[in-house]
Amino acid sequence: MSVAEGRAEGGAMRVGFIGLGVMGEPMAHHLRAAGHELAVWARRPESAAALVAEGVALCATPSDLAARSEVVITIVTASADVEALAFGVQGLAEGFAPGAVHVDMSTIAPASARALAERYATRGVGWVDAPVSGGGQGARAATLAIMAGAEAATLARVRPLLEALGKRIVHIGPPGAGQVAKACNQMIMVSAIQACAEAFRLAGAHGVDQAAVLCALAGGSAGSRVLEVMGAKMVARDFAAGVEARLHHKDFAILMEEAARLGAPLPVAAQVWQQLDALMGAGWGRDDTASLLRVLEG
Amino acid sequence: MDVGFIGLGLMGRPMALNLLKAGHRVQVWSRRRESMRPLLEAGAGDCASAAEVARRAAVTISMVPDAPDVEQVTLGAEGVADGAAPGHIHIDMSTIAPAVAQSIAERLGARGVIALDAPVSGGEPGAIAGTLTIMVGGDAAACVHVQPLFEAMGKSITRIGEAGAGQVAKACNQIVTGVGVAAVAEALNFAAKSGADGTKVREALLGGFAYSRILENHGQRMLERNFRPGFKAWMHQKDLRIVMGEAHRLGVALPAAAAAAQLFNGMIGCGMGEDDSVAMLKLLERMSGGVGE
Repeated sequence: MSVAEGRAEGGAMRVGFIGLGVMGEPMAHHLRAAGHELAVWARRPESAAALVAEGVALCATPSDLAARSEVVITIVTASADVEALAFGVQGLAEGFAPGAVHVDMSTIAPASARALAERYATRGVGWVDAPVSGGGQGARAATLAIMAGAEAATLARVRPLLEALGKRIVHIGPPGAGQVAKACNQMIMVSAIQACAEAFRLAGAHGVDQAAVLCALAGGSAGSRVLEVMGAKMVARDFAAGVEARLHHKDFAILMEEAARLGAPLPVAAQVWQQLDALMGAGWGRDDTASLLRVLEG
Repeated sequence: MDVGFIGLGLMGRPMALNLLKAGHRVQVWSRRRESMRPLLEAGAGDCASAAEVARRAAVTISMVPDAPDVEQVTLGAEGVADGAAPGHIHIDMSTIAPAVAQSIAERLGARGVIALDAPVSGGEPGAIAGTLTIMVGGDAAACVHVQPLFEAMGKSITRIGEAGAGQVAKACNQIVTGVGVAAVAEALNFAAKSGADGTKVREALLGGFAYSRILENHGQRMLERNFRPGFKAWMHQKDLRIVMGEAHRLGVALPAAAAAAQLFNGMIGCGMGEDDSVAMLKLLERMSGGVGE
């Protein structure tokens, strides 16, 4: 796709980007390829080297980045990281002009997203929580599923940017609602990984060929994306991260704490959380979540 | 001894009264002034803030709902640290996370206050009878110094270790009691659904390996369908949230406690938060087609 073809209908926007990890780096490239005027800030400037070599501006502080951007997109690890980027010293809030928008694509607590949206609103700055599903592969192929929590008008303004990153963009509701959908996504996905791990543990205990079981199941009622991708990793005993298990572990702490606050019983998710605790205790946090199989092998 | 007491709720009020009864001079302050009245009538000194309590007594005790409350009354504005002379001892008897207790102890230490964490088990009846189990973390000499105060409130007093260790023991206590209440409720619901007389089942089990204080006390209240607190379900849920958070931080699996915690979540969601923990029986009945027999 040429830059001209990729250019968003509403014209190029001045976009800032923070969080050039496995997910963020290809996303930043897509925004540039779509013709937007991209600038970045990075805690470790060397992580921006590839983009800088292509002529992308590197700002000295988040505040500087916000001052030159209509929209800043962040994708970092935890609630505390997003809060520090937004309202810390030399944070985004210091630089944003009224009317600017912060689009946070990290996975954080719905309550944190709501609180940030409220603080920005008092300054006339817009907020979108837009966590994603699809992993590194989805980020590279620009086929991410994007779950947005925002005022409708704010989301409409940044939709052209999100369309450069994902294929399916759903407006779930007001600020925080995107993170609620993401919590549901994580709960289903990791519970399914646990179910796969138990299935292959059982097949292994019987001495049955796990690859044959995977092949048979993939075509039937138990077939799923998780079974295809994670099942294959388990059968191959490939525990190198795709998504590091510690990130799923972090997500579970958030969603289980929210469930406790709301009085919602999640008995299966609670058990999956304990298996993740055991995985962390075994020291496999930086390996793939397929390591849930290894937890069952004791 | 001269002792100050901060937080005069369901637990704090009888504990402070027992200190008075044992002959100690007690200064009190509580956020809700009306909760101070029974203590003032019994002869306690009237203070306008936690800081004033600390100015008038060399040892202070706090018994408040949650970690932010403990931070507020110890380190906040007009808190204990603001009124304490060097060498002051503060005993927090609330249930909070071990890591938070350690952090508060460090920050109080930096302001010349020796902090002990001394959470309790035994509920309101234990507080009234002065028979609480007290689990202490913190400086050994300070623990010996305040032993007479502990003895006025409790029967079994154990120093577990350094700051935070009392809260670790309390977390362990909540694992055992949380899972225990669930086990007893499940057993009695199962008995009823199977057409057996729960009263006889409990009696039989009390003589065997399934004997526990929870089967004895909580089991009895379940059979009587007496769901008045006692120990409110939302407080047990709060304590298990602390436990599950610590397990998450440490990478320790607690599958049975996790299951019990979800049952407590269900109770909160069904509006049983103000009932006693034994109301878990009602939740299990709802999950199995209604009341048994």
